[in-house]
Amino acid sequence: MSLPPRPTVPPLATFVLPPRRVETLPGGARATLIDVGTVPLAGIRLVLGSGSVDLSPDATWLDRFVFDYLREGTEQRDAAAFAAALAAMGGRLEVDSDEQTTTLQTEVLSEHAPAAVALLVELARTPRFPQDAAERLLTDLHRSLDMATAQPSWLAHTAMRKALFGDQPYGRVMPTSEMLDSFTTARAAEFWARTTGAGRAHLLLAGRFAADAVLEAAQRSMDGWAPGPEAAPLVVTTRAERAIHLIDRPGSEQSTFQLGLPVIDPGHKDYVALEVTNALLGGAFASRITMNIREDKGYTYSPRSVISTRPQGTYWAEVADVTTAVTGASLREIFGEIDRLRGEAPPEEELTGVRNYVAGSFVIRQSSPAALLDHLEFLDRHGLDASYSATYLERVQAVTPAEVQRLTVEHLRPEAMAVAMVADRAVVEPQLAEFGPILA
Amino acid sequence: MAASISPFALQVSVERHRLANGLRVVLSPDRSAPVVCVAVYYHVGMRLEPQGRTGFAHLFEHLMFQGSPSLAKMELVRLVQQNGGTLNGSTRYDFTNYFEVMPSTALELALWMEADRMRGPVITQAELDNQRDVVKNEIRVNVLNQPYGSFPWIDMQERAYSNWHNSHNGYGDMADLDAASLADVQAFFDTYYSPANAVLVVVGDIEPSETLVLARKYFEEIPATPAPAAPDISEPRQTEARRFSRTDPLANRPALAVSYHLPERGTPQFYAMGLIHQLLAAGDDSLLHHELVTRRGYTGEVDASLNFLGHMHNAQTPLLWTVVAVHDDEVAADAIVEAMEGVIAPLRETLVDAETLERARTKARASLLRTAGDSVYPRFGLADLLAAFELLEGDASHVNEIDARFAAITPEIVLETAREVLRPTNRNVLVLEAGAAS
Repeated sequence: MSLPPRPTVPPLATFVLPPRRVETLPGGARATLIDVGTVPLAGIRLVLGSGSVDLSPDATWLDRFVFDYLREGTEQRDAAAFAAALAAMGGRLEVDSDEQTTTLQTEVLSEHAPAAVALLVELARTPRFPQDAAERLLTDLHRSLDMATAQPSWLAHTAMRKALFGDQPYGRVMPTSEMLDSFTTARAAEFWARTTGAGRAHLLLAGRFAADAVLEAAQRSMDGWAPGPEAAPLVVTTRAERAIHLIDRPGSEQSTFQLGLPVIDPGHKDYVALEVTNALLGGAFASRITMNIREDKGYTYSPRSVISTRPQGTYWAEVADVTTAVTGASLREIFGEIDRLRGEAPPEEELTGVRNYVAGSFVIRQSSPAALLDHLEFLDRHGLDASYSATYLERVQAVTPAEVQRLTVEHLRPEAMAVAMVADRAVVEPQLAEFGPILA
Repeated sequence: MAASISPFALQVSVERHRLANGLRVVLSPDRSAPVVCVAVYYHVGMRLEPQGRTGFAHLFEHLMFQGSPSLAKMELVRLVQQNGGTLNGSTRYDFTNYFEVMPSTALELALWMEADRMRGPVITQAELDNQRDVVKNEIRVNVLNQPYGSFPWIDMQERAYSNWHNSHNGYGDMADLDAASLADVQAFFDTYYSPANAVLVVVGDIEPSETLVLARKYFEEIPATPAPAAPDISEPRQTEARRFSRTDPLANRPALAVSYHLPERGTPQFYAMGLIHQLLAAGDDSLLHHELVTRRGYTGEVDASLNFLGHMHNAQTPLLWTVVAVHDDEVAADAIVEAMEGVIAPLRETLVDAETLERARTKARASLLRTAGDSVYPRFGLADLLAAFELLEGDASHVNEIDARFAAITPEIVLETAREVLRPTNRNVLVLEAGAAS
């Protein structure tokens, strides 16, 4: 039963990005269409230029309240009729959001793509906001808030944002119960009217669809749509200081934490190299931190490092849930791996493998309609153009060992890293003393 | 009055072969991008593992990443990533899978790696101990340390099923995991990981005739061993309504799960339940959403599934159709059950109208296409469907019949199915009480 020798892999052929068709729509809206794949579905996203940065400090989650309201239908059709219309196309409404944008999205059978586009535009332009739904939606929101406060990962996320961004919009991810009580139908409608319009709208499609029919439906449904307000100028300041923000969870089986600091945005010339650095350090399964604390020590199941991007507020973080007894030991290993990469450039062979991984992942994602749509949203959010995608692979392949070390030294500074942790305080406190001041 | 088959239904090219050692090979070309998925499925999963070794199928899956005759621990992972690919494995009720999604230039390497893995784990006690710790942390992060961590999948299957194979916790008892030895590892491999008990699926940018040559080159010399006998996983027909409760110390809002035993896989009644699932509980247009969310405000979301670890197409029956809702203390669980019954009862009395049934069919069709078009691991979604049909129905090309099977479901079959499946005496109610302060 001898196995033939391991085959060699030819180099990745020159990869051609799926072509993008870009069009202008009424009121200054834009459309980007990508015909890709063989599955007869069309992924559709209507990206609108409003998000949580537009909320006042006393209105955290008002955007979520608005999104729940969007499921209540439009001026033309009520909740049941709207849901039935989309379902008859094979789709369902999903509302996704981040700090800068709100995205109405669905995925429908190809034949229905034009009609589904018209339906999403109808929702963006004329949401219903029925008064009699408010109490029910607020009850749901209170339940969601309560459930979130029982989830260790959500609590750690909240504490991390607070540590990095304080009371600025990026730092406000959890409302108080009193805030929710202050939400009204009028505030929801006002938020929508104040923040949406054609001017910042971007219609994205990827998958299989008839492009001309889609564009015609978009033109017709957007006809007369006012451009709406410009985006408010964004000014973000970040904090970078070593401290442990500890949330006590007595009896917790694991310590759930995020550890990290603000880094450069995707528009920075070093960003792609930082992505490669991240994959080598903790982003890939075979990365150094994962090999250490999972595959060598068995402290945790799914550790990973991420670069979480948002304009002026991109941050790097290692995220893990570790057995409570080895909380301090886990931090020691993680900081140890960061220090090792700061002190010594990685071997060329290791880096070559990581470059190939990052490049291959990009190629694979470009074959998936949903991942392509994510990529288009990413470009928009960070003011990047098609050249970012077109030059991505060559920039990945150009990253050198010395550059990885330099970026780690410049951007992944352990002394500036915050730790946000949800854990059994009585057990972990003695383990944490060496890692910095513990803040409640 | 069967509906016509849509031109937008899932229709894929499928080639099937069987090697001399019994390994089945399924090939499906898709040349729209230079990407390929190589997946090997072994017909052993959580419900087929031996008694006294709960969680072993899953622990074993972890061990299959720890070393093989030609690759030391983690070398397989590194090779995949160094060649631009991504990978995973998972343990389900009926099977355990291992797959890579790679740039298509790495097809031959992926086949070589899986053929090496099929030759058996080569691991040390330290590697077994390490993965035991990793698996325990997986159970902690997904179950023990999370509100609703075992709800409803572990909680419900322990109560609604009476056959041990279906009812036991497939993540495993910590004591059973502690007892697992290297001798168990070898015995488990020898029993279940025979080529005759496996399917190799390749989907993507391939030339099938060339891929078959490569499959023979790397896999055909693995010795044939007998496939294991299949255990009896059947369940008795439930004849009285059951109600259970448990307290979740980490949850701060109560929740409710209601499960009905499903008809046998592949039957018209099974597909009728696929459509009933769509019209009752899938999406904002569903009847239960309208009643429980919009009209009564009992919950913000109705979640429903036909398979806790996947979807209706990738598990063998027995399975449960389950509806879940998280609610508030002010709403009694039994009031929600009663409201559900108010929506379900008419399905047992009258024929569903044509428009509603057609919408359910459209949703089922789109849902299947979304499954096939998996965006996290491109090409894997279709590979999973092909492997499931090959293992569970003996023919991967049945994926091309799914749309016709849904199309054949008439309002009469829906009525007959609702009468048998959605009987209150086939119902299991699980009330989860919130043990944490809110």
